[in-house]
Amino acid sequence: MNLNLDAEKQITYDAIVVGTGISGGWAAKELTEKGLKTLVLERGRMVTHPDYPTATKDPWQLPYSDRPTEEDLKQQGVQNRTGYTVRQSSKHWFVNDLEHPYTEAPGKRTDWMRGYHVGGRSIMWGRQSYRWSDLDFEANAKDGIGVDWPVRYKDISPWYDYVETYIGVSGENLGLPQLPDGKFLPPMELNCAEKELQKSVKDKLGRVVTIGRTAHLTGPLTHNDSPQRGKCQFRNMCIRGCPYGGYFSSNSSTLPAAEKTGNMTLRPNSVVSEIIYDEAKGVAKGVKVIDAETGEQLEFFAKIVFLCASTFGSTFIMLNSISNRFPNGLGNDSGELGCNIMDHHLGVGAGGSFDGFEDQYYTGRRANGFYIPRYQNYGKEKRDYLRGFGYQGGASRGGWSSLVSELSFGAQLKEAVGKPGKWTIGMGGFGEILPYHDNNMVINKDLKDKHGLPTILFSTDFKENEIKMRKDMAADAAEMLEAAGAKNVKTFDNKTGIGLGIHEMGTARMGKDPKTSVVNQWNQVHACKNVFVTDGSFMSSAACVNPSLTYMAFTARAVDFAVSELKKGNL
Amino acid sequence: MNRREAIERTALILGYAISAPAMMGILNGCKATPELAFKPVFLTQEQASLVSEIAEVIIPKTDTPGAKDAGVPAFIDLMLKDVYSQEDKDKFIAGLNSFNEEAKKSAGSDFIDLDPAKQVDFFKSVHDPAVAAFKSGEIKERPFVLVVKELTCLGFFTSEPGATQVLQYEAVPGAYHGCVPLAEVGKTWATS
Repeated sequence: MNLNLDAEKQITYDAIVVGTGISGGWAAKELTEKGLKTLVLERGRMVTHPDYPTATKDPWQLPYSDRPTEEDLKQQGVQNRTGYTVRQSSKHWFVNDLEHPYTEAPGKRTDWMRGYHVGGRSIMWGRQSYRWSDLDFEANAKDGIGVDWPVRYKDISPWYDYVETYIGVSGENLGLPQLPDGKFLPPMELNCAEKELQKSVKDKLGRVVTIGRTAHLTGPLTHNDSPQRGKCQFRNMCIRGCPYGGYFSSNSSTLPAAEKTGNMTLRPNSVVSEIIYDEAKGVAKGVKVIDAETGEQLEFFAKIVFLCASTFGSTFIMLNSISNRFPNGLGNDSGELGCNIMDHHLGVGAGGSFDGFEDQYYTGRRANGFYIPRYQNYGKEKRDYLRGFGYQGGASRGGWSSLVSELSFGAQLKEAVGKPGKWTIGMGGFGEILPYHDNNMVINKDLKDKHGLPTILFSTDFKENEIKMRKDMAADAAEMLEAAGAKNVKTFDNKTGIGLGIHEMGTARMGKDPKTSVVNQWNQVHACKNVFVTDGSFMSSAACVNPSLTYMAFTARAVDFAVSELKKGNL
Repeated sequence: MNRREAIERTALILGYAISAPAMMGILNGCKATPELAFKPVFLTQEQASLVSEIAEVIIPKTDTPGAKDAGVPAFIDLMLKDVYSQEDKDKFIAGLNSFNEEAKKSAGSDFIDLDPAKQVDFFKSVHDPAVAAFKSGEIKERPFVLVVKELTCLGFFTSEPGATQVLQYEAVPGAYHGCVPLAEVGKTWATS
């Protein structure tokens, strides 16, 4: 009896966090700093800052000029759908698709880019960091789409301040209502061609071009709590992991902070298969885990559980947690769990070249570009679809590859290549996808992963609103490039699937009414109060800006609420 | 520097000895198959020699290293083995064979047996019309001569000599300056 009690004590914590990515790292930091003994579970291998295997390799130290081999593509064919993830320098951060398969409904496409390791996608993320505004929080209510957010900008704004100050975001304050200002480190520079675009677009079209807001340190942080973080070195090798801590990741920031408290137990190789529901008490008791290395099945217990396993990861765990109370998945009274999958649709825009600025160039490699905040269906520019899009783009001068299809070869080619090519410029839209109930995921028991767990069947599609928007995304890009005097302007619209933006969201949406949503305004599962979901799955709409900053702000806010509820004895 | 010196210096840099018969062959206008600096893993010895000579025509040694110095032929061989699909492998080999057949027909001998000036002339006679046809959209897919050119450039400009001597490379720039006079920056950056 005592033995059993002791054993149970060893596996009992104040809190459990599932996942170590952007959201999990923040949950771990906040919970441990508030004094909770916290078990942090990560399904993949350990990665400790600054041990990123390819981070300092020069081009000639990478085999195959960094290209994927046929064997790589066999193992990671789905992960390669982006065209940039499966490289010799970055492929180890993305899953083996053969070991971790999923299924797409006939004729439909879902792109799921994943990394199973400590730090998750915070190592490979795009680092663009934008605040939402009330244009976004009010949109569902105004349009009668999905459910209304139970949160407005004033509720989340102090948490944006908090996370921006902690992680360091470089950018420019513009006073735009639709893209609120932040606590920014100095902005990075636009180059000559981008400045020309900025001026022309403002003068001729009244639109804003600014430097991207990005989670890089362009100056010192205003606190001393992140000793692993150093200034961005402008190497533009971010996807490999940054040994300088130049950009924010869980590994360089939140996890070391949690570690420092002495309250964190980090357990890698721990695949959470389900949440254990206590029917008598009506709360979650803990989680079931499969040890990824030994196959051993384990259980861990806690007073509160934070699900931060990524949108599809957390939703899978909830759908796979079946009890008498929740026969359709934990917290799924509404039937919305697994539905309303959103992302940002992209791969559409325009490119061109400039004849001028021949005597101008740049130094350093800026892992950032320009940003054009949303202007459609805001102010004067009404369009024939709902919501809108922003643009991300950049200008640069051509390198050696532009000479392959030119006449020079031999000594002449070696001479010609030393002079940079023409300035080229391109931009692509990031468009809002609406929440559609039938863009969904369900558990597929017919296909198992390498741990013997069931997998996910996705059914997702773009609909009329997105398709209409894409026409503008191409045409407006061309219009702006032409306004700036670019030549040979050509639009593009690449075929993509939902998920290619790697901003999947929405499968456990936040709302006021338990009948139509999964979590409440505090990211707390309506019907299972000690479970909090703070990755992208809580998003009730997608806005058109990169979402990670918003996940961080909501996670910190949810922890603050959860701990105060715990102290009040409400959990 | 005369031709013998040039060859000997190359041999010295690469750390391998050119056998006397091979050296005679080169000096006599490449009658013998030039020795390979690597052991091919995909191509046959003959194919590898041919690829090496083509690569060196595309990026010859000048006052800076050339394709052979930078290990480009071995790079191409490995890319063909591991990166190219079966279809692209087959196309490459077919293209390589017809390139040599064409050399025999129009220049009178195997490409590797042509003297260097004739190699350049023949390459140009295949290369220039291919560039024109590709640029005009007359052909949609890059023909062999442009595929081998692309592979050569890829291997060379991502090699240390290509990136640091012909282009310029900075491992840790430390800062980004968006508008700098080209004259102050100098050459094209190897990476973006």
